[in-house]
Order: sequence, then structure tokens, then C-alpha cells
Amino acid sequence: MKYALALAVLVLFSPGAMVRADGPDALTIARKCDAALKGKTEHGTASMTVRTPEWQRTLEMTFWYDYPEKTIIRITAPAKDAGTGTLRLGSNMWTYLPSVERVIKIPPSLMLQSWMGSDFTNDDLVKESSLPTDYTHRIEAETTEDGDPCYRLVATPKPNAPVVWGKLVLLIRKADSLPRREEFYDDQGALQKTLYFDNIRRTGSRNYPMRWRMVSQNKPGHETTLTFSSLEFDKPMPANTFTRQNLERRF
Amino acid sequence: MLFWQMAWRNVWRHRRRSLLTVLTIALGLAFNILMRGIGDGFHEQMVDNSVRAQIGHIEIHRSGYQHDPALLKTLPDVQLLERVVPQTPHLRGYSFRVLGDGLASTAENSAGVSIVGIVPQAERSVTTIGRAVIAGRFLDEGMSRPILIGERLSQSLGARLNDKVVLMVQAADGSMGAQLFRVAGIFRSGSPELDRGVVYLLRKDAQSLFSLAGGTTEAALLLESSESVAEAQRFLSTQLAGAPVEILPWYVVEPFLRQFIELDDAFFYIIVLILFIVISVGILNTVMMSVFERVREFGVMMALGTRPRQVVRLVVQEAAVLALMGAALGALLGSVSLIVFAHTGIDLSRYAAGASALGITTTVIHPELTSRNLIFSDLSVVAVVLLVAFYPAFKAARLRPVEAIRNI
Amino acid sequence: MALIELIDVSKTYRDHVSVRALTALNLTVEKGEFAAAVGPSGSGKTTLLNLIGAIDTPDTGIIRVAGLEITSTPADQLAEFRLRRLGFVFQSFNLFPVLSVLENLEFVPALQGVPKPERVRRAERLLEAVGMHELRDKRPDELSGGQQQRVAVLRAILPEPDLILADEPTANLDSENAALLLDMMERLNRELAVTFLFSTHDPAVMRRARRLIRLRDGRLIGDEMQEP
Repeated sequence: MKYALALAVLVLFSPGAMVRADGPDALTIARKCDAALKGKTEHGTASMTVRTPEWQRTLEMTFWYDYPEKTIIRITAPAKDAGTGTLRLGSNMWTYLPSVERVIKIPPSLMLQSWMGSDFTNDDLVKESSLPTDYTHRIEAETTEDGDPCYRLVATPKPNAPVVWGKLVLLIRKADSLPRREEFYDDQGALQKTLYFDNIRRTGSRNYPMRWRMVSQNKPGHETTLTFSSLEFDKPMPANTFTRQNLERRF
Repeated sequence: MLFWQMAWRNVWRHRRRSLLTVLTIALGLAFNILMRGIGDGFHEQMVDNSVRAQIGHIEIHRSGYQHDPALLKTLPDVQLLERVVPQTPHLRGYSFRVLGDGLASTAENSAGVSIVGIVPQAERSVTTIGRAVIAGRFLDEGMSRPILIGERLSQSLGARLNDKVVLMVQAADGSMGAQLFRVAGIFRSGSPELDRGVVYLLRKDAQSLFSLAGGTTEAALLLESSESVAEAQRFLSTQLAGAPVEILPWYVVEPFLRQFIELDDAFFYIIVLILFIVISVGILNTVMMSVFERVREFGVMMALGTRPRQVVRLVVQEAAVLALMGAALGALLGSVSLIVFAHTGIDLSRYAAGASALGITTTVIHPELTSRNLIFSDLSVVAVVLLVAFYPAFKAARLRPVEAIRNI
Repeated sequence: MALIELIDVSKTYRDHVSVRALTALNLTVEKGEFAAAVGPSGSGKTTLLNLIGAIDTPDTGIIRVAGLEITSTPADQLAEFRLRRLGFVFQSFNLFPVLSVLENLEFVPALQGVPKPERVRRAERLLEAVGMHELRDKRPDELSGGQQQRVAVLRAILPEPDLILADEPTANLDSENAALLLDMMERLNRELAVTFLFSTHDPAVMRRARRLIRLRDGRLIGDEMQEP
């Protein structure tokens, strides 16, 4: 009897039993969320609508991702912007401008500039940073939204991580580890923008939010909606996909 | 009247001592005037450099632009502005510009830049950028898509004369604007910020790049001197009342400069204070000695019926004689030295490195002699001397005649 | 009414030792007198003159001079009183070194508010009357001791005071100059009816007075009229 009691105490107070610490659980959830949003490779098409108090624009684009090193995005419509594209290899990034037929290099200092005028930054699009590896995680709470049980995960950047945020807060569905939303906070703790994920559909072998809506908090009235029309995961990428020649190739 | 005679002659009873005191006052004052003149000249030059480099004496934008710049905040009521601005009092020149930013790229490199769209003739009447061109030419309406870049930008982008530079911007309608420009000229302004981060285009090219359809962002005005700013500002505020514009003098656009000047002035006043303390000690010593030497005389005076306050008057008058002579001599020395320096200029090229960090581009200072400087300095020295003299004066007045007389 | 009245006047100096300068002194002096206060040094002569001259105040007693009870008059009014009614001649260093003889004479009238032309005229007339006009523009350091003292007397008399107080005026003069000084004082006393009260311990000077007020250790020990 005393032996069993001692065992029970040991088990209760062992690290594995603590749900709220930065233990394997929080990291696991972060990993699962990251994996749910990314395949090893991705290829798809999407339309992006940017809304500001003064104007509104919609772009059509097609993209390829080969995580974690390579990204290429080409704009297909409207005609004025068609052919413009962005390529990332490792920590280098280029943009092609068909109007002047030039590839220009984007210096790291401009990673935070908005991509094509949207509320997504260059950094957001090329996804150089990774949630599991560049942050430490903590489950802050378990809540239910719209009948959907979720974890509230707080991610704090590691000291030398290439991220600009002070912290991220993600609301992650328990069911399939997909995020409902992601909140971006600056170093002073002010909320800068919020990314809403909805329209979850079955795509290939996984569930995926087909609509992402980035709403700016520091610029009222600004928001960008990314709607995926087609999406394929883990297909092999053709050899010349992530090259500057491919960036400049005419459609 | 007799008292003034007595005061004057009392001063000369001890000729060497009085001359020394006068000299002390004079040198202190001359130093004060000279330093103030150099300081004023220096500050005026700094303001002038800054104003003529970029910002002008007054800038006009749509209301709210300064606080939160945006491409779409173009100048409203342009016809009204084009009518009113040229009538501004003390105007030397004005320029309507387009302002924005974007990415400048060459094959080698890219850099974020501020883009200024100008009308070359008008811009020349406000800023000195036209004279800062060290290679190629300043912009000209006849050129095709020219761009003027700073020396440092030219180096970092590897863009030389006639090379092509791509400017990529976010246009007014949100779309990406990108156009190719040719380097028509390279400038060296002396300000690292300008040389590294600002490019100039023809205004019409900038308007096309930013999809601005004829809009302009800012009107910059150059006046005769910074003294004219208040009056010009009043004129513009009255004439443009009701229009949603902000009329900003240079010290609002670049407050750092004025703060620097005020800080510099504060240091100057501290030095002057120390100087005055030193002079005061000397004066006090002289006046106290002259009072103690004459205790018996004061006793006789008071026995004869002189009132204490008349004794105070006498002592202070003696100090006043010293002060006025010192002030006159000091004013003369100070003015002459300032005029000499104003003529030859003070060459600070040895300190050029530090100076350019503060945005000072010319290294020869021409101090100015202002009547304000002269009058203020003179008055303060005289006031200090008189104030100091009151202490021994009161001591003299409080002598009791019967004791004073015993003091031989 | 007497010009000067002292009733039961005492004065003690408190330096490091208390010295009783005057004790319970009673004295009257009439207008027009030519009197000398005499006694050895320390007898209280100077104190007596200072008290009468309103440049010092007694510890006890009442003093009236020229109708004013100076012991109950505030200090700032005493200055005015001295200016209008009294004249002083000190033992030495009477004259203002930076002023000429004429200007020294002008001093008190100037304080009294007499306009410049008038006071210059009066001063010059006085100098001429005593035959000293050639000294007019000289500075005190250009005069002999005797000349300085005589000018001091002229300065005292010019504003036509009621009383002139002279404390040991001949102490620093030789007998010839002392005599000249007394001559001038006597003459002025006679011709202008100005009261003179002077102190001395010089017997030759004592002989010139018409009244001798004898003091010893702060007390009145004798008071007699005499033929000078």
C-alpha cells in the first residue's frame, strides 16, 4: 500500500504529467500544427485580395514551396502585374519585374516590407522562419471556439531566431492541429496583425484551411485575403523550378 | 552732480587698480561678444545648410502628412497654392515636389531609397543640390527618365553615369510600380543621409512612377533668412486659412537642429555665467577695498549730513563709472575682433569629420555681429557690476559716523 | 532758550572694558558763545562734542540743541538736522581729497539743494572775505596743515549753521597756525554770531576761549567765563 502510494506520487509529480510547462506537449502541438500547414513540398494557385480604405486589388498567383529552403511565386493576373514573381533560395530573395525586364535582389533589410502591397510581408510569404525550430512554446489554455476544442499556444522567439515578432499566439484545433488563427505581437507586446484561417476543406490526404485572412491592427481598414483554388502536397518538384531562369520565364 | 564728480575722481585716485578693473571687465565682455558672435554665426550657418540642402525654410503639405506620411496625401487646392506661394514675403524661391519611397536596384545590389520628384529650375531656387553634382549633370527637363543619385548610393549599387537603375515602388493605387531610369548625375552633398538614401527624378517621371496623375506632395519655400520665417508663416496661414494644409517652419521639420542650437546656447550661457562670477569677484574686491580705505571719509560725510542712501549712491556710482568704461572698451574690442573674423572667416576644416556628422557642410564660419548681441552683453555686464557693488555700498552706508571718524 | 542743553547725560563705552565716558552731566550753552571743553585726554571732551553733534547717543539723559530734543529724534532725521543746523571741524582729514577747496565748500550747500551758481558764488565770496581766494582750485594735498584746517572751518560756516563743533582742531598744528585758526574762528563768531564749542588740551588755545568747561573722568569739575 505504501509502495503504491509512493509510486503514485512519483508519477503525479513527474515532468511528463505537467500539462502547462514548456514540455514535449507544447512543442509537439507546435510541430503538428506546422506539419498540418506545410507539406514537404507544395504547389498551388491562389487569389489574393488586398483591401485598404482607399483601394482594393485582386491578384492571381501560382506558387511552389520546397521546405525549408526554396520558394517561388509568380503572379498570373491581372495583366499589368502578370509575370512579376518572387524567388527565395535559402536566405536570398529576388523579385522579377516584367515591366522593366529586370531581376532585382531584395536585401534582408526589406524582409518586413509588404509583399506586393498586401498585409503579408516578404518574410511571411517566403517563410524562412519555422514555428517549431525558431520558437519556444507554452500552452496557455485550452478553450472551445464555435464548438471547436483548441489549444492556445504561445510561441516566444529563441534568442538568435530570424524573426521580428515579440511573440505569436496561435489557436490550434485539437482535432486536426490546424490553426484557427495566429496573432502577431511586436516586442512591446502590442498586437500588430491577426491571421484567420477558415474554409477548411479536404485536399488530397489532409484537411486544409483554404482561406487565410490577414487583418492589420496597426493600420485600420487594411486586410488581405488569400484564397487557395488548388493545392497539391508532397509532389516531386521539377528540377528547374527554383531558378532565376524560371523566375523570368514567360507564361 | 557733485556726486558724479566725486565718483569719477574717486575712481582715478588709484589709477592702476581702476585700469586693471576696467580691463578685466572689458576683456570679459569682449570675450562674451566674440563667442556669442561666433556661436550665432555658426548656428545660422547650420540652419542655412540644412535649409538649403533639403528642407527649405518652410514646407507645406496636406494636413497630417508630417506625422504620418502617405503617398495619397497630396497637396490639396494646388491652384490656390500656386497663386499664394509666390507672393510670400521675403521669398527667394519655391519648389513643388513629389515625395515617396521605394527600392532602387542594379544588377549588383538593391537599396531602399527616398524618391524626390522635382522641377529642376524650381529646385535650384530652393536647394543647393544642383551645385553638389560631382559627375554628370543635374536633372534637365530634356532628359529621358533621368535619375540623380548620391555618391554613396552610387558606390553601394555600383551604378555609374549612364547606368540603368530600376526603381520599384508601391504606387498610389496599391499596384507595384517599376520603371527603369538612367543615372544622369551623381552628387556629393556632404550629408551622408542624402548621399546614401535620396534619389531625384523629374517630377513628371515620379508622378508616372507613383501613378499620381499630376499630384504633388510638398511645397518647399526658401526665404531671405531664418529671421523671415515668422512673418512668412503668418502670411501663408492667413492666405491659406481653411485649406487642409500644414505650414511647417524648418524647426518643426527638423527639430533636432533647433534642439542642438538650444543646447549649444545653454552651454554658452553656463560659460558666460562662470565668466561673470570671475569678473564679479574682481569687482567686489576692488570696490570693497576702496570702501575700506575711505571709512573715515564716509564718517565725515555722514557727520556733515549725508544720508546713508546717498553713500550707497556714491559707491554704486563709482562702480558704474568702472562698469561703463569697461563696457565701452569691451564693446569696442569685441566688435572689432568680430568684424575681423567675419571678414576672414574661421576655418574649421580640421573638424570636418565631426561636422559632417551634424549635417554641417561648409567648414568656414563667418561670425555675425548683431546689435542684439552687443546690447545684451553690455547691459548684462554693467548690471552684474552694479549688483556686485551694492554689497560694499550697503556696508559703507551702515557705518556709524562716530566709529568711522575714529578710524584713521 | 539756551542753544544747547544737557540734562543728566551719561555715556558708557563698551569695548573690551567698560569705560564711563560721561557721568550725570548737566550743561547749558547760550547762543553766540565761544566756549572750550577742556581736560586731559580721556576726560570725555570728544564724547561731549559727539553727543551734542548728534553723531552719538547717550545712555541716559536728555539733550536739546537748537530747539530739537535730539535724544528722542530718530537717526535719519538727525542727519537732516546736522545738515541744516550744525557744522563740524575734526582734528584732521576734514576735507575730501578729490574735491578742490571750492568744491569742498560747495559740499554741504549741494546736499542742502542750493543750485550750483548760487553755492559757487557764496563759496567764492567767503574765500575772498578771508583772503584765501587764491586757494580756490587747489586740492587738499596741495595745502599746508594750517590751510586745510582753516578751509575746514570755512566749510563748516558757509551753510550758516547755528553751532560749530570743533574737536581738537589745532592738535596737529604748530603754534603759529593754531593762532591763525583761532583768529578765524573768533572773527566768524563775532561777525556772524555763530556759536563755537571746541575742545582742546592746549593751554594757548584755552586762553582764547571766553568760557572754559572743565572735565575730568567724565564729570564736570569746572565751568567759568574768562577774558580771552
